[in-house]
Parts: sequence; structure tokens; C-alpha cells
Amino acid sequence: MARIVACYKWVIDESDIKVNPDLSINLQNSKGKISDYDKNAIEAAVNAAELLEGKPVGLTFGNSKCKASLKDALSRGLEEAYFINSEKADKADGRVTAAALATAIQEMGEVDLVVCAEGASDTYARQTAPRLGACLDLPVISSVNSFTIEGKTLTAIRKLDDCLETVKVELPAIIAVLPEINHPPIPGLKAVMNAGKKKMVEFAEADLKVDLNPKNQVLDLQAYVMERKNIVFADGELTEQVKNLVIALKKEGVI
Amino acid sequence: MSDIYIYSERLDIAAELIGFARQNHKEPYVVTFSAVAAEELANLGANKVFYLKGESPLVENYAKQISKFLKEQAASHFMVGATARGRDLAARVAGYMDCGMASDLSGLTYVDDELICERIIYGGAVRQKEAFKDFCVVTVPGGLFEPVQGDCEIFTIDLKADERVVLVERTEIPSRGNDLPTASKVVCVGLGLAEEEDLSLVNGLVDVLEGEIACTRGIAEERHWLPVERYIGISGAVIKPELYIALGVSGQIQHVYGIRESKIIVAIDKNDKAPIFRYADYGIVGDMYEIIPLLTDLLN
Ligand SMILES: Cc1cc2nc3c(=O)[nH]c(=O)nc-3n(C[C@H](O)[C@H](O)[C@H](O)COP(=O)(O)OP(=O)(O)OC[C@H]3O[C@@H](n4cnc5c(N)ncnc54)[C@H](O)[C@@H]3O)c2cc1C
Ligand SMILES: Nc1ncnc2c1ncn2[C@@H]1O[C@H](COP(=O)(O)O)[C@@H](O)[C@H]1O
Repeated sequence: MARIVACYKWVIDESDIKVNPDLSINLQNSKGKISDYDKNAIEAAVNAAELLEGKPVGLTFGNSKCKASLKDALSRGLEEAYFINSEKADKADGRVTAAALATAIQEMGEVDLVVCAEGASDTYARQTAPRLGACLDLPVISSVNSFTIEGKTLTAIRKLDDCLETVKVELPAIIAVLPEINHPPIPGLKAVMNAGKKKMVEFAEADLKVDLNPKNQVLDLQAYVMERKNIVFADGELTEQVKNLVIALKKEGVI
Repeated sequence: MSDIYIYSERLDIAAELIGFARQNHKEPYVVTFSAVAAEELANLGANKVFYLKGESPLVENYAKQISKFLKEQAASHFMVGATARGRDLAARVAGYMDCGMASDLSGLTYVDDELICERIIYGGAVRQKEAFKDFCVVTVPGGLFEPVQGDCEIFTIDLKADERVVLVERTEIPSRGNDLPTASKVVCVGLGLAEEEDLSLVNGLVDVLEGEIACTRGIAEERHWLPVERYIGISGAVIKPELYIALGVSGQIQHVYGIRESKIIVAIDKNDKAPIFRYADYGIVGDMYEIIPLLTDLLN
């Protein structure tokens, strides 16, 4: 049975990022999560697999902590999870990521469709799907707002800055979906229980035979901070609070 | 290492990138897929304009051939306007070139012939600086550089497209009159708004302030209650008003990215733990359905 691959990234939750006094950042206590829009990619892959009568699988490239994501991903309707386990993922650029994912996809056998999200919530580079297309020399459709499949023909509606485009492709192909494409449900208890029993495949760095060294050299990371007054009007009735707000805005000279 | 190749279907961005190249004493070359655009681009200070002529109406379909062309020309960088189409084309070219790429730059400079790129990561929380030594591809939004002028020749080159993806239909999205980017007062509504009809309540406040209405991504892209050019954030508009008022906006970093340069930020949300209060100068914790009428009346 041909596979439909959802690529998802295990990312640091940006709301956990701590800022040091010198504006350097501290990621030590940050928790991981499946990148927000990748949940839409997983849901789209599950839907596409139904239409194609194929098997929806997940694929992720991350460090050893990323293992925690496999059950979560599998509880969202995927049947198998593939994990490329490498500490090099932490410093990966778009080239490394696409090369790693492409090699794993080639290992899977017959693949009809690869689904990525528009962009990952950490990098938001919006590079991976088109680059993956180049690595695998497969056709790519980005900015997909909706799609239908008939036989092996996928028809997609793309949403670009100034137009809507209907385009058509014969599978296999790669698509990058916008988050508006679907509303992924929260996995039920049964799905969560079952997830642990599903097939998980791990690739080690050495299995891949790709150069995982990035082309870019990161020079500096600096937190963006914003100084604000943080005054909340809490005294008195609501009418009083609104009055105080208006007085403050008048004083600021903005109304 | 000084030939910069430039593409953007947004001619204003192409013009700015030519300006960037000139300002840094590099040689700008422009590629375009439109004969009409080629004429315009030929007055903007580039060395040459290459009109790439082929059968496919989808420019992304030329990525593989463009990467061959760039190799033949010994280009040192490929700089592309950061539009949805530009990003896609750029990333494919980077893929075929097997080179580095940095997307959606907020800053770009040369230091000793190394390209130093600045971009925003983690939804707006962190600025990252990175350097590229070799050929690389970057995408750049509008507004960073000054255009220049100067005439050049147009060369036509036939290019074969990858025709596996076929265009069936294209519908332009009409751009509506939109004063949001320059408005001095902006009222932004988030998913705290229960019904589309309730927009009239918000519009009442917008009217007394003589401001403009804006929204979060979900209001525009999922609920379609306001046009997409009205949503603010890292994937939407970035604004710098004197006064920005958030109504039922939780204040996720991706949204806040678009309002950071506002002079005064006001938050109204019923959840006292909503992150928007951390980014606000003034706030009231409460139901916007009660607060909006009170505020509108007082301002009237
Ligand atoms: C890669 C990426 C890019 C993104 N880009 C953008 C972007 O450009 N722009 C953008 O906006 N988002 C963007 N997002 C989404 C963003 O993360 C948030 O999900 C989104 O901004 C939340 O919108 P919201 O505040 O309207 O909704 P919610 O987070 O649902 O917040 C609604 C708020 O309304 C309050 N509320 C409810 N009822 C009432 C009431 N009666 N009175 C007062 N308050 C009430 C709630 O307490 C809550 O705080 C992006 C996300 C990702 C991952
Ligand atoms: N390390 C990764 N593992 C699996 N999928 C990824 C990885 N990085 C990126 N992707 C996929 O590519 C999309 C776009 O990522 P980016 O190009 O980094 O914005 C993500 O939303 C995922 O679908």
C-alpha cells in the first residue's frame, strides 16, 4: 500500500523562551510541541490517505527529545511514525532538513504524496516543501488551501498574495498546506491509548548517508523585547475603569 | 563574487534589490518572466534584464532551469522578493543548487564579501543573524532598500518549464481600498468576537475614533469576517499606529510581531492571564461586549 507522508517538526514552544538580562535567550526549560500548523498537515495527510486508500504515516527529523512526539503524532490518525534521530537537527538549515527528510522518504518504498505545512512555528522559513521537491525531483504545490483527489490526480486551490489558483498534478507529488485547510480534532482517549501500539521506525544519523552540516553560520541570537507600561485598570466598577482608560489615552495625546 | 541575480514579480521589490546591489557596489542582474515587466525593469539601474520566455504560466515551474542558468552565469547570490510565489521559486532553486537559503529577511548587509542576514524566528520572539560564504538564495520583503535608476539592455532567453503542475484557473483577488498601513488609530478584533454581526459594535468604536479596523489571522482566514489584508502579524500586516486597541485578542507572539512599533497598545480581554496584557500599556480585564459600548459612549 502506498504511503502518504506527513512531515512534522517537534519545536520548542515559543511561549517558554526565557530572556537573559543581556538579551541572549535561554531555551533550557522550554517544552516541546508539534509545530502548530503541522497538526493541519497531519490531518490533511490522513484525509488524503482515505481518498487514495493509502497508509498515512508521519515523518520527523529531530534530536532524541523528539521521540516524545511520536505517540502524539500517531494519536492524530497516522498509522506509522518515522523518526530521524540526530542531534544535528538542532543546527539544521533548510538544506539539511530537506536532505534528511528526502532520504527517509526514499527508504519508505512507494509514496504517493508528501504533505508539509506552510511553515514551521520556530523558523517559519516556508522552504522545506519546495526544497524537498528538488531533492526528490517531484512536483510541488505550495500554499494549498484545499484539494481533491480523483484516481491519481490531485487538484489543489492555492492561495497566493493576490490570486487564487487551481492547479492539477499527477501523483506522486509534494504539497505544502495552509492552516486554513482543516480543523484537526483533539485526539480522543482511545486514539491516545492506541497510539503506543502502532509501528515506529527510527533512523540513526549513520543510516542516512547525507551531509547534515548546515551551509549557514549562525552568528547571533537575540531576544526581541518590548518595554510597555503594563497598567491594568482594576479599581472600581467597569465604568470607572473605562473612564480611567480614556483619561490615560488623552494624557498620552493619542485621542 | 559580485553578481547578484534578482527576481520578483513585485517590481517595487525587484527595484529595491537592484538598489541594494548598487549601494553595495555589486553588479545587479534581473530575471523576469514577463515582456512587459522587462521593459519597466530595464530603467531601474540593473546591468542586464533577462526575459525568460517559456510555455508555463507558473514561474515556479522554471526552478530547475533557473538554477542551471544561475550556474552558467556564475551568479554569486540569488535574491528574490518574499511573496508566496517568490518564496516557493527561491526555495526550489536553492534545492536544485543544493545551497544555503535564508527566508524573509529583516536585514541584509555585506561584511567582507560575506552576506550577513538577519531574520526573525520563534514567531517574532528572537532575532537571528547568520552568515553565508558561498552562493546562497535569500528572500526579501519590500521596504528595506531604496530603488535607483538607469537604463540597460533586455536579453531574451528561451527556458523550458517543468510542466508536471498544470494551471487550470487563476482568479485575481481584487485589492480593496485599505488605509490600515498608514492609520494612526487601529482597533483590532480577535476570536473573542462571537458573531460576525457583532462587527457592527466594533465598527461603532472605529467610527468615533476615526480609525481603521483590523483583526487576527483566524478572523480573516478561517471565519472570513474581514478581508485578509486586514489581519496583523508575522504572516499578515505590520503596522505602526499611534494607538492600537486589541479586543478579544489573546496576544500570541505571531500576532504581536505586527504591532510592536505601535506607540500605545491597549488590551481588552476577559482573561487576566492573556499574554496581550504583557505587551500592553493599558488594559482592562473584562467582557468586550460590556466595555466597547461604554468606551464608544465616552469617546463620543
Ligand atoms: C507560523 C505561525 C504564523 C502565524 N501568523 C499569525 C499572524 O500573522 N497573525 C495572527 O493574528 N496570528 C498568527 N498566528 C496565529 C497565532 O499564533 C494565534 O493563534 C492567533 O493570533 C490567535 O488569535 P486570537 O487572539 O484572535 O484568538 P485566541 O487566541 O482564541 O484569543 C481569543 C481571546 O479572546 C478572549 N475573549 C473571548 N471572549 C471574550 C469577550 N467576550 N470579551 C473579551 N475577551 C474575550 C479570550 O480570553 C482570548 O484571550 C500564527 C501562528 C503560527 C504558528
Ligand atoms: N525537522 C523537520 N522534521 C519534519 N518535518 C519538517 C522539519 N522541518 C520542517 N518540516 C516540515 O516543513 C514545514 C515547513 O518548515 P520550514 O520550511 O522550516 O518553515 C514544516 O511545517 C513541516 O511540515
